[in-house]
Amino acid sequence: MKNLVTALLCSAALGLPAVQAQEIKSASRYGDLSTVSQDMLNRAASDSQNFLQTNGDYNQQRYYPNRQINTTNVSKLRPAWIFQTEVKESLETSPIVVNGTMFVTTSFSQVYALNARTGEELWHYVPKMGPITTFCCGPNNRGVAVSDNMVYLGTLDSQLVALDARSGKVMWKTEIADPEEGYSETMAPTVVDNKVLIGTNGGEYGIRGFMKAFDAKTGKLIWTFNTVPENSVGVWAEKDATGKDLHRDIAAEKATLAAMLQPTAADQKQKSGAADSAAKVVPVVDKPGATPSTSAAPAPKAAQFYKTLGGGIWQNPAVDLETRRIYFVVGNPSPDLDGSQRPGDNLYTDSLVSLDLDTGKYVCHLQYIPHDVWDFDAVSPPVITKVADKDGKPIKGVLHAGKTGYVYVHDAKDCSLVRYSEPMVPQENMWTLPTKEGARMLPGANGGVEWSPLATDPNRGLAYAINLHQPMTYQVQNSPYPDGKLWLGGAFKVIPSEEQWGNITAVDYNTGKIRWQVKTAQPMIGGILATAGGLIFAGEGNGLFKAYDSESGSPLWSFQAGAGVNAPPSSYSVEGKQYIVVGAGGNTQLDYKRGNSIIAFTVD
Amino acid sequence: MAVRRFTACVSAAVLVWAGVSAAARADTIDEKAAVCSSCHGEKGVPTDKNIPIIWGQQEGYLYLQLRDFKKGARKNEIMNGIAESLEKDDMKELAAYFAAKPWPNLNQASASDADVLQAKTANSAVGCSACHLDRFQGTGTVPRLSGQSHDYLAKTLAEFRSGERANNPGMTSLAQATPEPDLKAMEAYLAGL
Ligand code: HEC
Ligand code: HEC
Repeated sequence: MKNLVTALLCSAALGLPAVQAQEIKSASRYGDLSTVSQDMLNRAASDSQNFLQTNGDYNQQRYYPNRQINTTNVSKLRPAWIFQTEVKESLETSPIVVNGTMFVTTSFSQVYALNARTGEELWHYVPKMGPITTFCCGPNNRGVAVSDNMVYLGTLDSQLVALDARSGKVMWKTEIADPEEGYSETMAPTVVDNKVLIGTNGGEYGIRGFMKAFDAKTGKLIWTFNTVPENSVGVWAEKDATGKDLHRDIAAEKATLAAMLQPTAADQKQKSGAADSAAKVVPVVDKPGATPSTSAAPAPKAAQFYKTLGGGIWQNPAVDLETRRIYFVVGNPSPDLDGSQRPGDNLYTDSLVSLDLDTGKYVCHLQYIPHDVWDFDAVSPPVITKVADKDGKPIKGVLHAGKTGYVYVHDAKDCSLVRYSEPMVPQENMWTLPTKEGARMLPGANGGVEWSPLATDPNRGLAYAINLHQPMTYQVQNSPYPDGKLWLGGAFKVIPSEEQWGNITAVDYNTGKIRWQVKTAQPMIGGILATAGGLIFAGEGNGLFKAYDSESGSPLWSFQAGAGVNAPPSSYSVEGKQYIVVGAGGNTQLDYKRGNSIIAFTVD
Repeated sequence: MAVRRFTACVSAAVLVWAGVSAAARADTIDEKAAVCSSCHGEKGVPTDKNIPIIWGQQEGYLYLQLRDFKKGARKNEIMNGIAESLEKDDMKELAAYFAAKPWPNLNQASASDADVLQAKTANSAVGCSACHLDRFQGTGTVPRLSGQSHDYLAKTLAEFRSGERANNPGMTSLAQATPEPDLKAMEAYLAGL
């Protein structure tokens, strides 16, 4: 009875016609879904019922406001239900929960809608994918976005799919980019004000990365921002964002670029053929601060390497609703380890980038690692939060955790770097250039913070990061662009004789100091959640899922899930009872034991 | 051994030159695919150890190989000749056709314990299974390796390594980064899976 009343109240509040409530009879009465309004999405940070966005809210704080499960009772956490998917392959999904219905994804871009109270399956969507799918690190999917009565998904064959949230039926489908050229999707989209925002995978395949906005109702493309501009040269930076020497041979790079700009006989022919010049222009900047000089001549083919320069986007943008800007980070240049064919800073790879939400126009950027030859891409999603500036004054800041092992703190206004944290993992021989034989450097290419999202506790001013320590050697090899095929420019190799481990690190982002650190047996990948109950939750490759005191890092509870827990946890409540939910499917990239479980926990 | 193989290939190739135009003219997919069986096997068991299994192989992978043979990005006299006359739609159709067939069992011996151990260590260094997936089943454009013909695996890995097979520089880099004895163990392990 109570439930019926709640359901009626909910639908009344959301202005749903009564008929609609009838239509969802097939769903369990606890799993009834209501429309997700823009207002609900805007206020997700204070919603202690639902988990509406991949990283909690538009600021991506991963701070869940419910304190029912807390430091005093977490020891009594036990599984409420376990749902087994049909796909036993790595799980990276962030469960999304809307009024008692949960949406999770599995590898190969499948979606399940579940009753969040019982784990009962409501529907299962298996995309009919084209034959061409590529990936770098497993056929993963990180989850869906919800808005209105739709569920949005990016698939491995680079399609954007909108599903009816009640039935899983396809409402529309759009190709994001051509999978035969190495484009694919693993990230969850973000929906805001009728726009579906999504980037692309393919940094290991010589793509040209982008962030695109699609119309949420129709799937029509609204804008595209190329993460690699035609002039990707930049300022010939000799140092990384923290002032470390990159050991670039800038004279050699400039000579390569000059040679590339020399038109060949073939280019000359092309030029006379295509005089109307919708043709590409390569602007060249050769000193810091100079405005790009553009010549009307089409760029010689050799200088058009911006078309294959990589710059994928792994994770959701943070959305600042006040300024109507988005902030996201861009992945590595292609090919990963061989810089010889891509002179210049390779903008905007390995960067934080901010755009205007409505137009997709560039606002600001900060490049962490110009001309990267280590696959040190920026992948963990940025977080918008209040931070202390250099003088201690509170400003709107942006946090990003790097594969370098630093948490970077930016001023949201102009993307500039306010500070960076103490390193969370050992750094050695940075930045030693890759060699033919293999050069050792720490962190390894699976190092520091991977795509795993941060969690934050805004009251404590702490950011929680999960880290990898996996020593590697870096080898370089030269090969031409292979038409959308795997293109690494070398190899990174784990050094089998060296110890590997992980840690959870709490960083005070107002000072950059590490507050506490807990070591784990294995390198960590997946994600973390902080709650108002004074807790953080994170899983490990060996199947352990643990809760810690977010103030001190002391472990308070653990559970063996039987397969690697390498996905970001979420939290929600149904009928006034709080749950914690996480996927246990292992991880392909680190070869952690695979499984197929979605596990929801509660305190009884 | 080498000589025998050579003649086998030549006679097969001759057969194919005759068959190529037949494939181009063929209407039904069964007719198109019939040409392939003379080498890739009536029941999917290849007629020579250096010829790969294509029955049950991943569809995206099969298509891209045919595309690359046609473009010359992957060089093999026989297959370049065969792919030359195929249009994109033919290639897609053939890829779908063979991918839907069952993977044949070549009854190759399981690898020795020592090889298994060495293969697993090699795998943990470069993460072969991060792409080829659990038990090396592949997906999409990443090929299945488990149970593939041992001699073909050895041949194609050596060709990746030397750069002779140049249609996937990523695999070339990884094969070069893996010491030869590790690759040998890997081949025995994969063939015996
Ligand atoms: C005369 C023998 C012969 C015929 C006929 C033949 N193939 Fe092949 N095929 C080969 C050989 C040999 C290779 C291995 C090439 C190499 O080592 O690079 C091969 C390789 C392939 C590959 C690559 C498989 C892999 O694992 O990389 C595909 C796909 C393929 N063939 C498809 C076909 C199709 C489709 C047909 C019919 C239209 C066909 N072949 C006809 C001999 C043949
Ligand atoms: C980053 C992803 C990735 C990794 C890691 C990887 N491979 Fe591959 N491999 C591929 C792809 C993609 C292809 C398809 C090549 C093509 O498109 O021609 C392939 C092709 C192959 C082939 C050719 C199969 C055939 O039928 O011709 C072999 C053999 C192979 N890989 C073995 C290995 C081994 C052994 C390792 C580890 C030492 C490894 N691979 C690591 C992605 C990978």
